[in-house]
Amino acid sequence: MEIRPILSALLRNRTGALLVGLQVAITLAVIANAFFIIERRLETIRRPTGIDTPNLIFAESEGYTPDYQQAATLNDDLALLKGVPGVVAVTVTNSVPLSGGGSANGYQTTADPKAAPIGGNYFEVNADFIDAFGLRLVAGRSFRPEEFVPVPANNDLPPVVIITESMAKALFAGEPALGRRVYEQSGKSAEIIGIVADLQGSWLGNTRPGPSDIVFHPNGGLGRSWVYVVRTRPGERDRLVPEIEKLLNGSGHGRAIIWVRTHEYWLTRTFRADRRMVVFLSTLVILMTAVTALGIVGLATFHVNSRRKQIGTRRALGARRSDIVRYFLIENAMLGGAGVVVGTLLAYAGSSWLTRAFQMPPLPPGYVLASAGALLLLGQLAVLWPARRAGAIDPAVATRTI
Amino acid sequence: MSGYYLRLAWLSLKRTPAITLLMIGAIALGIGATTTTLTVYHRMSTNPIAHRNDVLRAVTIDNWSADRPFDEEHPDRPPTELTYRDAVAIAAGAPAARIVAMRKTSLTAEPGAGRPPFLVEARLATRDFFPMFDVPFAYGTGWDARADRDGEPVVVLSKETNGKLFGGENSVGRVLRLDGREYRVIGVLADWQPTPKFYDLNNGDYDTPEDLFLPFALGAALEMQPAGNVNCWKTETLAGIRDLFGSECIWHQLWAELRTPAEVERFQAWLDGYVAEQRKLGRFARKSNNRLYTVDEWLTRHEVVGRDSRVLLLVSFAFLAVCVLNVVGLLLSRFLGAAGASAIRRALGASRGEIFRQHLVEVGAVGALAGLGGLALGALGLRALQQLYGSYDRLTQLDLSMILAAIALAVLAGVLAGLYPAWRICRVQPAGYLKTQ
Repeated sequence: MEIRPILSALLRNRTGALLVGLQVAITLAVIANAFFIIERRLETIRRPTGIDTPNLIFAESEGYTPDYQQAATLNDDLALLKGVPGVVAVTVTNSVPLSGGGSANGYQTTADPKAAPIGGNYFEVNADFIDAFGLRLVAGRSFRPEEFVPVPANNDLPPVVIITESMAKALFAGEPALGRRVYEQSGKSAEIIGIVADLQGSWLGNTRPGPSDIVFHPNGGLGRSWVYVVRTRPGERDRLVPEIEKLLNGSGHGRAIIWVRTHEYWLTRTFRADRRMVVFLSTLVILMTAVTALGIVGLATFHVNSRRKQIGTRRALGARRSDIVRYFLIENAMLGGAGVVVGTLLAYAGSSWLTRAFQMPPLPPGYVLASAGALLLLGQLAVLWPARRAGAIDPAVATRTI
Repeated sequence: MSGYYLRLAWLSLKRTPAITLLMIGAIALGIGATTTTLTVYHRMSTNPIAHRNDVLRAVTIDNWSADRPFDEEHPDRPPTELTYRDAVAIAAGAPAARIVAMRKTSLTAEPGAGRPPFLVEARLATRDFFPMFDVPFAYGTGWDARADRDGEPVVVLSKETNGKLFGGENSVGRVLRLDGREYRVIGVLADWQPTPKFYDLNNGDYDTPEDLFLPFALGAALEMQPAGNVNCWKTETLAGIRDLFGSECIWHQLWAELRTPAEVERFQAWLDGYVAEQRKLGRFARKSNNRLYTVDEWLTRHEVVGRDSRVLLLVSFAFLAVCVLNVVGLLLSRFLGAAGASAIRRALGASRGEIFRQHLVEVGAVGALAGLGGLALGALGLRALQQLYGSYDRLTQLDLSMILAAIALAVLAGVLAGLYPAWRICRVQPAGYLKTQ
């Protein structure tokens, strides 16, 4: 209907139109990709840990004196910690899940030294680990105290192991894993006596071993340094952190308590980079959208002011207020539409850079569509106020300066 | 004349305060965002020992498995660390002005006086570590060749550790108990924070240097546990730390100081010869791949500049572009909206150049104010980022070069935003405007 005259007016003020269009285009390209990145980071941060994170405390003990007694220290500490009111279960481990530090080994389903081993993140624990971490046993059973055998060599398998569902899938591709044997390249093997539901391993987001490809060995607490896992009753955790630190420090044994920390502490550390990205990108997205919107308001205001006579004339010739408002809304929609088209191209150019440089998956079209819709709507809202002011221009303006 | 232009600019800016604020605010926000991300990016990618870049070389050799490369994404790259025996053999035999073999360990320090023992991270290194990396001393010195050979129980403390243990005073000659043994303090470092930690990028690119430094030979003599990365490919019995010393596991870093291209060539030839000799013993199954990296090359190989900071840098520049486009539009409309006044000035004898300069002064005023605002916002942004970066707060310090960069950016953004509108307004034909008055 009125598109042709609006278009020809726009073409006469090409620069202004180009500027708004470009702003919309760049904003769209950035926010579509930013939303996608933010969404993926939030997904990482919020992925369940698979363990009873809110009620877990970890404490590292390191023996350092020449006459240090490993076994006595371990047994005394475990008994001491189990006796603390408010503690539900205690185990020992070599690594804190999602802390960024841990151990991995190669596992395979045959004794053949030429077979391709599958990487597995291993935890050295004791019989109580399922309760202490708050895991779910899916099949089989947990370790028995008598299966806790000191195997000091770090690439010798103990006689029995427990694996996660993910690891079972990685090793046996869907076949039942319980009762089967896993091998090391050296030919040593262990029986799988239990399968637990997935938890996240020592490292975040690694691809090999997969984040939940985990094997539990019943030989925690060997050597001179290890970590206690203390699971508390709900609400007791924060009270117990200083208490446990005091208890362990006061128990002697010629060792140092390196730290006592909640699992949240490690999560905060591990996810810091992701959280930073979310905060920074969201801030930039908000600012960028605000600047674009204010720019639209500012430009439209100027256009209204510089076209006062023209608008007055149209009103005098019979145009209604709503016609004038509609004129500006349609003009903005056309600018925004052109910007969205160019912006979509830019968004995919940006996404292809992210894919090439950082192995990001390609941008799903939904993000571009949603961002485009939001920007077009925002443009309409931004132009509404100047447009209404234009509609309020008195037809008498037309007669005044002629 | 310029005073008059300034007054005109002031009048013009005052006429529409909201738009003026919007223009200044938009550019300031853009500058603030770019300064913030640029500072982090700059800090991350800075070579902390640039003045020695050409003489320092990270030494790498490829002892990895015949079946698969160390880095499957880049099969041509040798492993980043060395075995114990290779590190020792190369450090002892290779022709270099200086050479350092080193690794990390952790020890329990006993501060005494009833204070609880605590864990310290220690670097076991040969004595060239200090002169090669320009490590500054507050008190004392590093150790000598004899201490290196005999593994004397001497220790060099970092500034922080000396503060923690001895209250920051000159502790040279004092005794420190580590893992139940006594060590004599022979040196205390001045503040030393190479960012990134170029000499060992295996555990956190922006980690602080170790808490203390010990002669390398002590590590083997006292069988100290490794505290950094230990990476193994071979199936061999590792029943304890002793087996690790003889294994194909890599856990040592090696750097050489080579002052001329001839020295580099000689070192490379020696290294190739060493690997060829070892091959005869059945080691080094892969194609000979012995590489020397300058510090810059080493930082690049380790991809020290985080992916996130590159994305943020790009996003903040896109944001700045939007802000500039925005201001171009606003200025253009404002100048053209007041074209009548310019037309009158032209009719009264002002030249195009004068009109152009007059508007440029206005643009310049906006740019200068925006630049100041941008710097303030940048400082604020960095402070906010500090919270987000946690322990890595050295990455977020605004330094002089970044302040200059921010000012340059503001001027550039102001000029980019203002040139076209000022040019457009000085091209206006006065006649068209004068007729309707």
